Amino acid sequence: MRTTALGIVGLAATAAIALSGCSAGGDQESGPVTITYTNFISNDGNEENLQAIVDAFEVENPDITVEVTTLPYADYGTALQTDLAAGTVSDVFDIEYANYAQYQANGVLAELPVENPGAYRQSLLEAYQTDGTQYALPSSFSAVVLYYNADLFDAAGLDYPSSDWTWADEQAAAEALTDEAAGVWGDHQPVSFYEFYKVLAQNGGEFLDESGTKVGFNSPEGIEAAEWLVGKSGTVMPTIEQGQGTPDFDTNLFTDGKLAMMHTGIWVFGAVADVPFGWDIAVEPGNTEQASAVFSNAVGVSSGSEHPEAAATFAEFLTSSDVMVQTRLDSGWELPPISDEAALATYLEKDAPANRQAVFDSLDGIALPPVVAEGQQEMQDIMTEELVEAQSGRKSVADALAAAEERINAAIGG
Amino acid sequence: MTTFIGEAAAEVVGRSHEIGAAAPPPPRSRRSRRWRYALTVLAFLLPSAVPLVLFVLGPMIAAAWISLTEWNLLAPAKWVGLDNYLELLTDPETGDVFLHTVYYIVGYLPLVYVGGLAIALALNTALRGRTLLRGVYFLPVVTSWIVVALVWRWLLNPSNGVVNTVLGFFGVEGPGWWSDPAWAMPSIILASAWKDLGFVMVILLAGLQAIDPELVDAARVDGAGWWRRLFSITLPLLSPATFFVVVISLINGFQVFDQVYAMTGGGPGGATQVVVQQIYDLTFRYGKAGEASALSWLLFMVILAVTVVQIRGQRKWVNYG
Amino acid sequence: MSVAAATPTAAGRTPAARAVLARKILLHVVIVLGALVMFFPFYWTLVTSLSPGSGLSSTPELVPAEPGLDAYFQLFQQVPFARAVGNSLLLAVITTLVQLFTSATAAYAFSRLPFRGRTVVFGVYLATMMIPLQVLVVPLFAELRAFGLVNTYLGALLPTFAAAFGIFLLRQAMNQVPVELDEAAALDGAGHFRIFWTVILPNIRPALATLAVFAFMGSWNSFLWPLVVLRSPELQTLPVALAGLQGQYTTQWDIVMAGSVISILPMLAIYLFAQKYVIQGVANAGLK
Repeated sequence: MRTTALGIVGLAATAAIALSGCSAGGDQESGPVTITYTNFISNDGNEENLQAIVDAFEVENPDITVEVTTLPYADYGTALQTDLAAGTVSDVFDIEYANYAQYQANGVLAELPVENPGAYRQSLLEAYQTDGTQYALPSSFSAVVLYYNADLFDAAGLDYPSSDWTWADEQAAAEALTDEAAGVWGDHQPVSFYEFYKVLAQNGGEFLDESGTKVGFNSPEGIEAAEWLVGKSGTVMPTIEQGQGTPDFDTNLFTDGKLAMMHTGIWVFGAVADVPFGWDIAVEPGNTEQASAVFSNAVGVSSGSEHPEAAATFAEFLTSSDVMVQTRLDSGWELPPISDEAALATYLEKDAPANRQAVFDSLDGIALPPVVAEGQQEMQDIMTEELVEAQSGRKSVADALAAAEERINAAIGG
Repeated sequence: MTTFIGEAAAEVVGRSHEIGAAAPPPPRSRRSRRWRYALTVLAFLLPSAVPLVLFVLGPMIAAAWISLTEWNLLAPAKWVGLDNYLELLTDPETGDVFLHTVYYIVGYLPLVYVGGLAIALALNTALRGRTLLRGVYFLPVVTSWIVVALVWRWLLNPSNGVVNTVLGFFGVEGPGWWSDPAWAMPSIILASAWKDLGFVMVILLAGLQAIDPELVDAARVDGAGWWRRLFSITLPLLSPATFFVVVISLINGFQVFDQVYAMTGGGPGGATQVVVQQIYDLTFRYGKAGEASALSWLLFMVILAVTVVQIRGQRKWVNYG
Repeated sequence: MSVAAATPTAAGRTPAARAVLARKILLHVVIVLGALVMFFPFYWTLVTSLSPGSGLSSTPELVPAEPGLDAYFQLFQQVPFARAVGNSLLLAVITTLVQLFTSATAAYAFSRLPFRGRTVVFGVYLATMMIPLQVLVVPLFAELRAFGLVNTYLGALLPTFAAAFGIFLLRQAMNQVPVELDEAAALDGAGHFRIFWTVILPNIRPALATLAVFAFMGSWNSFLWPLVVLRSPELQTLPVALAGLQGQYTTQWDIVMAGSVISILPMLAIYLFAQKYVIQGVANAGLK
């Protein structure tokens, strides 16, 4: 009796010691590891593409299993912040550039060791560094370009938009091509925060001042830029009352052949592919400078992650591996953030638009979104709200910018 | 507050329903009777009380604690005492969002009740195909706001929407609807009333069918006209269901969110920013969870006050047949 | 319609009867027109779902240009939609059954079991409806995490087990059941449980059916809580899966509409099914 009991205790003790040996220390890199990844980038049709990348990673790293959770983009922030508040955030998670500063400042992103920084496009990589330390890795980028209906230009005998166009050229073409009676419009550009900081840069203005806690757009350049944006409504672009601003409004107008030029992202290529008329893209004309809007998504590793090394390995694979590059290019799933132009060559050889080079030319002059550590979303909402007030004619442009300045300073001043 | 509710609710509760307390029992039995009764009450209350306490009251108290802090959900919360409440009460924007919410309720409630009542009355008669019709009127209730918002934005499109086109036939220039700050809330009210008609219809139908048809017939035989029957017989007998609809609609109306989020997001120019939209923005977009919780407790007090007033006023018009 | 009943002539209807008929027809027409207005959004959703590759045009089409079921096939391929439907069904059925139970028991207490402080307790119950979920989400999530129930069915279900809405609804209904029926049963020796089961419940069938419909609907369409607490693809519910069809930059509207159609159908079926009980309940009411 006693010997059996002792034997059992002895076995149990041995087992306990053996097991505790396995879990000694903080990091379990020696054994199989499961990490979690929460994303929104695979919404709307790219779920299988993401799975392909994850599968390839698991083949290359048999010790690491990745559990993928996909959340709807529109509500991603709600779920992510709930996770952060409760401490259940994944090891790896998606972030948008606009949120980077806030997350980094609040210490939720871990420092990322990057094995091969040269693989990334420098400007994108630097966007996610603070004080020289990498806190997130860019996973993709998209750009906003100028689309144009070649047939409409031909019919009016006008030259196509080119990379040395300025606002004046665009304005002239838009006016010439607008025929309200026939329901044809010359130019569509959304009126929002996202467009404004870009046209501001195109006019040599600054959204934020040097301190980063006050706005700098209430200047002559700013007013000019805002008027460029707002002035299209009702002259070369439909008004809000006529439907401008509703989902897919501009794309539909363009595919119906009723819009000569539109400013929108490269993600619309697919929707416009089958139109019965000739079309192409060009770099967005600037005024004093060329500046194009480039949007990027990124992935970060949670500062509370229990497997930071495995997570970092996955993050780097997800954002720079050849598998990822191939998958993205093949399916037209935004652009990989890599520096190797040759690898992107296949992108240039695809079908319409012919001038895909314009996408990369856009990267020569980037207008990065202004980012603040506190009040980011409020700043964006207020800016859009005031611009729309000006667009609807309820406020003058000068008043709208002044009101935006006052309200935004209060929100971001801290 | 307690006696206030107690007084009013005494009317609400109505008759005493104590069963089985007929003859005076012997002393020991009485005590055990009381215990048995207490256990019975507990048995009936616990199934609902436990989840409510654990999963609603608990978080409510946590939210009260959060309202005394400054918290952006990412970093630890910072104690600020009553600062959030003071800030809210002195900020004109708070008054605005409450005003917008009340505007919504005042427009929505009469519309949805009258509409729902009309449909319920009509579909309570021997109308051909009424089962199918009841189903169709209920369809909007089960349709998600994504779809309903899209449809109503199209219907109310200022330049070529159906509504403005029809108004044009009568020589009236249609307003800017959701693009116009003055007409944005009416747009939301219209869409909401339309969507919830079926809900009111269902509740009132159940209530109508509990009315003894002999009472209505007796009135008709006495020569009472349709309107007279409606106001003297039907509506009074329907009052418990009406009371329910009004209380629920008010509680839900003060917390309106889905339709505002889907149709205007609070715009244009903040014209339709309602309280819960503000709470949502503060929590998940602006990193001000503390202020959001404080605002939600302010809202709670308003809703509580309104509900108590209704319960009190109940004795004036609600008949429990 | 107050019309003096004149004797119908052998030839046909009296003018009075004709007026009644005319009014009936008018009523019918108005109701049907109203029904068409109610039906239109669903019809538009259906048409868009049957027009593959369609975006959202500014004017909805009445008839699909090239009808096809592609959107539906893609729907099930792209996301585990069938699984999402299954999850939503499971959660909705459980929620409905549990809520019927917890609501009926609580309502009985508030209607038939007086006790000291009952009205205060009822007030507290009502108060639970007065705080928006948006503000409860974070503390509730933290609480469930402490219980280890994040990303589980139970975690999604527990907060839905009791709802003041249902308790309020059933209490109103029970208050309309005459006490005499209770007393008659008591004379036969029935205790509260028997009375609850044999007297009260059968007499509030319309309200029970109504509550079942709304409880099901509340769970079926619920978005914020399942979004936050159910994360694995195997556990996600229908509204969350639908929202995932809208991308960061683009949305395939025909697929979204197909998803919307599918999400509406079970709800409608439940409602039509429950309707029968509402009518049946009245027939058996015996409220004389």
